Amino acid sequence: MRINDAILGAVLLAFALAIGLYARTLPAIPGQEYGAAVFPTWIAFAIGACSLVLIAGGLRHWAETGAVTLASWARSGHHLRALAITVALVVFYILVSTPLGFIPTAFITLTALFAVLGVRLALAPVLAAVLTMVVHYGFYSLLRVPLPWGVLTPWAW
Amino acid sequence: MDAILLASQMVFQPQVLLTIVMAALFGLFVGAVPGLTATMATALLVPITFFMEPVPAIGAIVTCSAMAIFAGDIPGTLLRIPGTPASAAYTDEAYAMTRKGQGELALGANLLFSALGGLFGTAILIVAAPSLAEVALRFSSFEYFWLACLGLTCATVVGTGSTVKGLVSLLIGLFVATVGLNNPAGVPRFTFGNVDLLGGIDFIPAMIGLFAVSEIFRYVLGMSPDLKGAQTRVGNLFTGWGRLMKQYWRQSIRGNLIGISIGALPGAGADIASWVSYAVSKRFSRTPEKFGTGHVEGIIESTSSNNAALGGAWVPALVFGIPGDSITAIVIGVLYLKGMNPGPTIFINNPQDIYAVFLIFILANIFMVPAGWAAIKSARVMMRVPRNVLMPSILMFCVVGSFAINNSVFGITVMLVFGLLGFVMEENGFPIAPTILGIVLGPMLEENFVTSMIKSGGSFAGFFERPISGTLGVITLAIWVVPVALFVWRKTRA
Repeated sequence: MRINDAILGAVLLAFALAIGLYARTLPAIPGQEYGAAVFPTWIAFAIGACSLVLIAGGLRHWAETGAVTLASWARSGHHLRALAITVALVVFYILVSTPLGFIPTAFITLTALFAVLGVRLALAPVLAAVLTMVVHYGFYSLLRVPLPWGVLTPWAW
Repeated sequence: MDAILLASQMVFQPQVLLTIVMAALFGLFVGAVPGLTATMATALLVPITFFMEPVPAIGAIVTCSAMAIFAGDIPGTLLRIPGTPASAAYTDEAYAMTRKGQGELALGANLLFSALGGLFGTAILIVAAPSLAEVALRFSSFEYFWLACLGLTCATVVGTGSTVKGLVSLLIGLFVATVGLNNPAGVPRFTFGNVDLLGGIDFIPAMIGLFAVSEIFRYVLGMSPDLKGAQTRVGNLFTGWGRLMKQYWRQSIRGNLIGISIGALPGAGADIASWVSYAVSKRFSRTPEKFGTGHVEGIIESTSSNNAALGGAWVPALVFGIPGDSITAIVIGVLYLKGMNPGPTIFINNPQDIYAVFLIFILANIFMVPAGWAAIKSARVMMRVPRNVLMPSILMFCVVGSFAINNSVFGITVMLVFGLLGFVMEENGFPIAPTILGIVLGPMLEENFVTSMIKSGGSFAGFFERPISGTLGVITLAIWVVPVALFVWRKTRA
């Protein structure tokens, strides 16, 4: 999905303004001219300048490309749903993994993702269980990453 | 001499060698799977290297990246789908050879000249890096400021696509680098009261997001290449090696030299080296009409170049701490983490560490021949791994890897945000490598700028008063000003 450069430029211009305004609130170092605000201010100016070039370029080609050129996936409900579920599953992992624990969270996440990507429904939980345990063994037992146990804490090994 | 002996002892240990072999197999696998890049292989490996000693950690990354760059040639030749972007320049040529029944010759040439290119790049790294380090010892904050600027400039100007979009990508990276407490004034910036953001945005989850997660999103949206109808069986790879060496030694050497020069430019890596070498090969060929019809000449020059570029990219990374490409940007993070702070003093304080890295480079490129042969022979299996099983597995590795950086779910949030950002950026023609370079070089740029301004009492003239600093400054400014001036001059004449 290609968004017209003019729109992206406008978003970047707003972003640059926000950075610039925020940078003005940063305190100066007493007796010194170059403090914490210098770099963000420069970055804001540079992004602002680039966004103006993008807006000018985008407006020149507006007639040919329009506001948005839709890729084939953007018209496919199936693909969009798959993307939304994938993102939602990562968010689910972020929110739930600490209270629920790595093993159940990873199992649920992987089973759902396998199912969404077309792995046979009977096979998805099996694959998810095997992969969860492989990742857990590799990272928790071998590499000593403290993956959370959550509800399984009483049975932790 | 003692340092070399010490380095050999560090490298020739069963567990280090085993790590190198495992990393090689991983690199070959990721490189050979279309859509997964050498940078992604390195990004996925980083969380694992956290738990290793410095030498095997660096060894794993060196080996993995070299193997992945080579392995990218395998699906490129057999399926017309480059495994990594560094193979894209000669994919059509190599596939045309496969169609003519010369797949063995193309893959054999890829293997031989990749290994030779890698060894040549290593030789230059060994010769050039210590002498450059001697010069670098005299560098002050002024020179480092300009070097960082030069690196960022090259990343923007040399990269493919629109310069403005490259610049925006770079500025996004620089902005990300400003987040947190880590600035000369020690003031929290862009943290909005969030404790996690006080420590800044770690570049490793950001990079895993940009390079790996965005690729997973692309797969989920059905944008990955179709692998149907492929030839995946190959015969004897070693036929004609002697003839190729005799006939195309000039192309191989020219490819190596171009690869090293481009690799050593901060910001320009194996991908660009490969395209430039292919174009140069065609330009100077005695038979340019054969290019595009399945002719091995351009493949040899290009494949030599992309592997030599890897060695070249390590020169600025080790000597100045400035990454040559996205892989060395990752490496610099790992070097810091392992206490092997890149910079000229590493050559004086810890020469054994540097020699160990050099030794690993040599080992990796020699090991490439048998491992590459095995990879090509098992190409059928590697390329046929069901993608709908592989991608969720990679996503789980990304999630756990991002968590492992600080043992915090914040890393996963960063990964997800950058995954979405990377996807949107690539969809709209913004390159993502400059973002990573911006994140890595941002703190160095700011710190050296502020230090220099304090030293010079707030005068910009200080940046041009020292000879090397002045020269670097003029070169950097010229890269920006000359094209604009030429453009204006042409417009006014027209």
